[in-house]
Amino acid sequence: MCDKTLIARSRREFLEKSGMGFGALAASWLMSRDALAATSGFAPRKPHFDAKGKAVIYLFMHGGPSHIDTFDPKPALAALDGKPVPPSFGKVDFQFTKMDKVPIMASRRKFKPRGQSGIEISDLFEGVAAHADDLAVIRSVHHDGFTHVTGQNWMNLGWPRVGRPSVGSWVVYGLGSESDNLPAYVVMLDGGIKAGAPSYGAGFLPAMYQGTLLRGEGPPILNVNRPKDVAAGEQEKMFDALRFLNERHRETRADDSELAARIASYELAFKMQMSAPEVADLSRESEATRRLYGIDSADTSEFGSQCLMARRLVERGVRFVQLYSGGKKGSEVGWDGHNECEQNHAFMANKVDKPIAGLLTDLKSRGLLDSTVILWGGDFGRTPFTDGAEGGGGNRNGRDHNPYGFSVWMAGGGIRGGKAIGATDDIGLRAVKDKATVHDVHATLLGLLGVDHKRLTYPFQGRDFRLTDVHGENDLTARLTRG
Amino acid sequence: MVRAILFLVTGVSVAAAGLPEKGRQILDRHCVSCHGPAKMAGLDLRQRDAAIRGGGRGPAVVPGKPAASLLIQAVERQGAVAMPPGKKGLDPAEIATLRQWVESGFEWPASTGAAEPSWWSFRKLQRSAVPTGASNPVDAFVAARLRDKKLTPVPLADRRTLIRRAYFDLHGLPAPVEEIERFEKDEAPDAWAKVVDKLLESPRYGERWGRHWLDVVRYADTGGFETDIYFPNAWRYRDYVIKSFNDDKPFDAFIREQVAGDEIWPGSLDLEGGFKIPDEKQRKLEARIGTGMYTIGPVYHEAALFGGQQRYEWLSDVVDTTGEAFLGLTLGCSRCHDHKFDPLTSRDYHAMMAVFATSDEREVPVIAKFNIYGYKSGYPNWLKVEEIKGQIARIEQGPRKRAVDRVRARFDAAALAAFDKPEKDRAPDQRALAAKVEEAMTEAGLKENAKGRAFDSSYTADEQTRRDKLIRELGEAALRANPVMQTATVLGPADEDYKVHLTARGDWRSKGEEIGPALPAALDAERRRVDPVHRRKSLAEWLATHPLPARVMANRVWHWHFGRGIVATPNDFGRQGDEPSHPELLEWLAAEFAANGYRVKALHRLIMTSETYRRSSAANAENARIDAGNVFLWRANRRRLESEALRDAVLAASGSLNTKMGGRPVIPVLSPEEYSTMWARNQWPESMDEKERDRRGVYLYVKRSFAMPMMTAFDSPDPSVSCARRDSTNVAPQALTLMNGAFTGLHAHRMAERIAKQAAAPEWAGRAFRMALGREPSAAERGRASQVLGPAPDEAALARLCLVLFNTNEFVYVD
Repeated sequence: MCDKTLIARSRREFLEKSGMGFGALAASWLMSRDALAATSGFAPRKPHFDAKGKAVIYLFMHGGPSHIDTFDPKPALAALDGKPVPPSFGKVDFQFTKMDKVPIMASRRKFKPRGQSGIEISDLFEGVAAHADDLAVIRSVHHDGFTHVTGQNWMNLGWPRVGRPSVGSWVVYGLGSESDNLPAYVVMLDGGIKAGAPSYGAGFLPAMYQGTLLRGEGPPILNVNRPKDVAAGEQEKMFDALRFLNERHRETRADDSELAARIASYELAFKMQMSAPEVADLSRESEATRRLYGIDSADTSEFGSQCLMARRLVERGVRFVQLYSGGKKGSEVGWDGHNECEQNHAFMANKVDKPIAGLLTDLKSRGLLDSTVILWGGDFGRTPFTDGAEGGGGNRNGRDHNPYGFSVWMAGGGIRGGKAIGATDDIGLRAVKDKATVHDVHATLLGLLGVDHKRLTYPFQGRDFRLTDVHGENDLTARLTRG
Repeated sequence: MVRAILFLVTGVSVAAAGLPEKGRQILDRHCVSCHGPAKMAGLDLRQRDAAIRGGGRGPAVVPGKPAASLLIQAVERQGAVAMPPGKKGLDPAEIATLRQWVESGFEWPASTGAAEPSWWSFRKLQRSAVPTGASNPVDAFVAARLRDKKLTPVPLADRRTLIRRAYFDLHGLPAPVEEIERFEKDEAPDAWAKVVDKLLESPRYGERWGRHWLDVVRYADTGGFETDIYFPNAWRYRDYVIKSFNDDKPFDAFIREQVAGDEIWPGSLDLEGGFKIPDEKQRKLEARIGTGMYTIGPVYHEAALFGGQQRYEWLSDVVDTTGEAFLGLTLGCSRCHDHKFDPLTSRDYHAMMAVFATSDEREVPVIAKFNIYGYKSGYPNWLKVEEIKGQIARIEQGPRKRAVDRVRARFDAAALAAFDKPEKDRAPDQRALAAKVEEAMTEAGLKENAKGRAFDSSYTADEQTRRDKLIRELGEAALRANPVMQTATVLGPADEDYKVHLTARGDWRSKGEEIGPALPAALDAERRRVDPVHRRKSLAEWLATHPLPARVMANRVWHWHFGRGIVATPNDFGRQGDEPSHPELLEWLAAEFAANGYRVKALHRLIMTSETYRRSSAANAENARIDAGNVFLWRANRRRLESEALRDAVLAASGSLNTKMGGRPVIPVLSPEEYSTMWARNQWPESMDEKERDRRGVYLYVKRSFAMPMMTAFDSPDPSVSCARRDSTNVAPQALTLMNGAFTGLHAHRMAERIAKQAAAPEWAGRAFRMALGREPSAAERGRASQVLGPAPDEAALARLCLVLFNTNEFVYVD
């Protein structure tokens, strides 16, 4: 977007510095894929150290799923149900709720130990729970953004405001792309998201590192379909003519690698016109696979289709895929259970549990789980007491946003699963043990891909910025990948 | 290189002085910018005692013991601290001098004779002597550097290339083919100067260069974040910027108006005097609209965050933007801690916040008082609108009431009694009863509902009829009502005297020492006092006469002409920024700029009439081996059009460009795919007049939470912070945008329609090339074109050819 660096400042300079002089490029306008990738900023790059993870699928539960109803059991809540919050837990700010005015609300969900490891997961996620031995649940994540946009910005950008690159942008900036006909960083929404495009934006990185939206219906990628009034044969002629004109133009400008890169970008665009519809066409999958993801059922078909698409993308070398559950659609509120949280979560979990379980199963059976890091999380967790400010809307059995302690889980990418790391206090209000900041989660995500979060930097406003700012000390990579 | 510059500028000669003098000169030159008035890390190296006493890390100098002196350890880069910051340390000779000086007792000289700040960009402007050998001083300076580097400049560009470059550069639009041909034939010696003058006189100039400035001040029409509030008057500031460039407003006045238009040109804005606002007041009003710069930043509007944090965020944005836009310094770092590389302390940052702390945004009417009364006379029409809306709302309660009643009918009296009681008054057993009713209400869609259910909201026939009738009446009443009263959003005195406190790591809750308004210590050698009431006025007067803004703006102008500034980091003139490629030229340009009344158009003329500007962009392998990045300007830089220029070029080529200026932002129509990602679709009320959609890119709606895909694809900046320099990338989504997108498709058709009306099929290809590229096609190109057109060309085929032309490198790049 806003150029602050040498890479994009002048591709000519970049090439010169990377040892690809004029001669090499002047030889032919038709560049090899590697040369194109080098000039386009998407060359696959070596990670800082060996790691199993090559790609990421980030499952984002928009609205903020309650940790104490899903991955963080709090038996102590039962005795406190309906009672005021004991003062010993201290006071913190929430968006709507004054915590001294509202009663504790215990989870109505049943938790039980799962798999060999015995991690406790609630019956909202029976499907995912069957994979417990592959999961690393981090129960002590925290940040300070108690509104949706700040929470989403924290989880996606590593700070509460806008203007910084999203996690996916950092990853593709750091590692480039393995695909020569699909975008490196793909995002799928199931409705509008509160923090909007900055959630997958490139911030101060060049715009080419932003996420590309992929849709299940209509043109899978914006403008990837030919205009309706142009037939395929006609468009081929147009591409031919364009190539010819650009070649002529370049005859007297042979030294200019940017012009060559632009010519090559049309080759890629042309290929993308073919490959994007192909990747989005789930009818090519077997009936059994489609069932595995729940595509055959009305409740799960939307998120199931996204999960299956995610696998197809990762299979084809896409580096970073982010899926959203709970975007704005009609009067649905996503995972934002301010009102009747139990009913809300049952409804939402039902949409995603089977698809996520199917994704884990499918990746594993295809040998892709080891090279794919799965991250599950949302804006924040939710409060152990009911939602409502003083004189607010009565007992709505809801839960307010809680950024002070909540859970995310990771799987794949070399993680030795069956782990639960960190803990919140007895009521799930705040992270207290082995606390993990969002920076730590991001450092871990990069670590699983072989990227040292301290060395992945970009110069902006007079300093070298990192995804993890000046933090990320509690990088969990080593702990997660140990047996 | 920086050291070399300083010698040049100051003429200080180390060899001529004795050891204490030499030593102190080194401190002044390299250390005092931070460890002087700014006292970074508590260390002040301007006095012997203070130097020995040291700062937060303890004594800096132990006379007689260099090895034990922190100062020596730091410059030798052996201890915990490496100084000066950055990759480069001092010269070995300088280190040796310091060592000897400390060893010999650290005797303090009376004076070094240098009272100037030590960092180059903070010093007074020194008009450098122009090297001989060229009639245009720009060429003289550039030629000197080319000779140093053994570079041979390429020849001048041909006239066609030149005029195309000039049009895109000054207008952001393609040169019309008639203008190209006229210029090619014009043999007058001042033919080129006339082209430049003509372009500078056109209002298209302000639209182009105003847009550059809007990047710097992070312009947008909304506040961003979840609510993304709409700024109804942001466009007035945008128009003010465009007008300022068109009027060639002196840059110092431009600074004064934006920072403190209200305080410098005070007085009543009641705008009396009949229908027409007196000229003097019109001018005052314009100056005040300049302060709109501080009312268009990101607004963090979220429940529970209002008050202290919101205010702190606004002040941070204001200080950051002032720093980057005018001083070319990244003050932002100092919000949380003292700057690591520049002499800017957290105290300086908060003192600058305090300058703005007594100000707040205000809405002022921009029409004469007489007319304000006219508005008020029409106000009862709005009362009528409100009355009808109330009546409609009452009808709309009908279906809801019926739905509630249906749920209530399922419960007994006890449950309903519990439900109707306020929550706090419910007995324990009533809570469970009430919860059941709550759940049923939610289930029925009467409350926010996870399952997305909505209650049956259908009206009875009678309700429907009454509602339809009222809606018609509502429309009639709204039609008769006045439009919204015209106001401007500007800065004025705040109601509350907000106190600024030092904070810990930028956390607004941590209130440390109260900080009063002041200018950054290291930049303000004279220690000017900030007027406690008209604080911004003091800041504005200081900025308008300080050398740094003159340098920064001269460099920006250079950057926008050449695609690369003399300082390649136009928003960072500090130690982390790039060193100037032509330091003497920048000094001379800035001095010239200041001496000539800060006229930007004069700078344009000076630069554009130089040979340096007029060079061709041709390759030269010999030069490329030495300077591949063309830092030393042996040729012109070929540049990709920015998002707005590309869009405008398509509009111009298709003959659609609507040159209407100013007013509310243009809100273009988007595709369903684009709308589907928007959180609140109703925040994108499309411009319904189709002609509006053909206006220039500078007038497009800039919505912080939703960047237009076509514009971001071509690297339009993220308006969350100041942008000094845009990216220029080449990626596949751009190809898809131009090849398959609705905008280029529409204009290819319009262009085809226009051509088909003017000429017969055999002439089509020629016309299309002339309109899109300003030239005739070659025979080979004609051949290719006819393949696209096919054997029996129709308008649709011609549109395809036009679309191909919009996609060519020639269309998108400027030589």
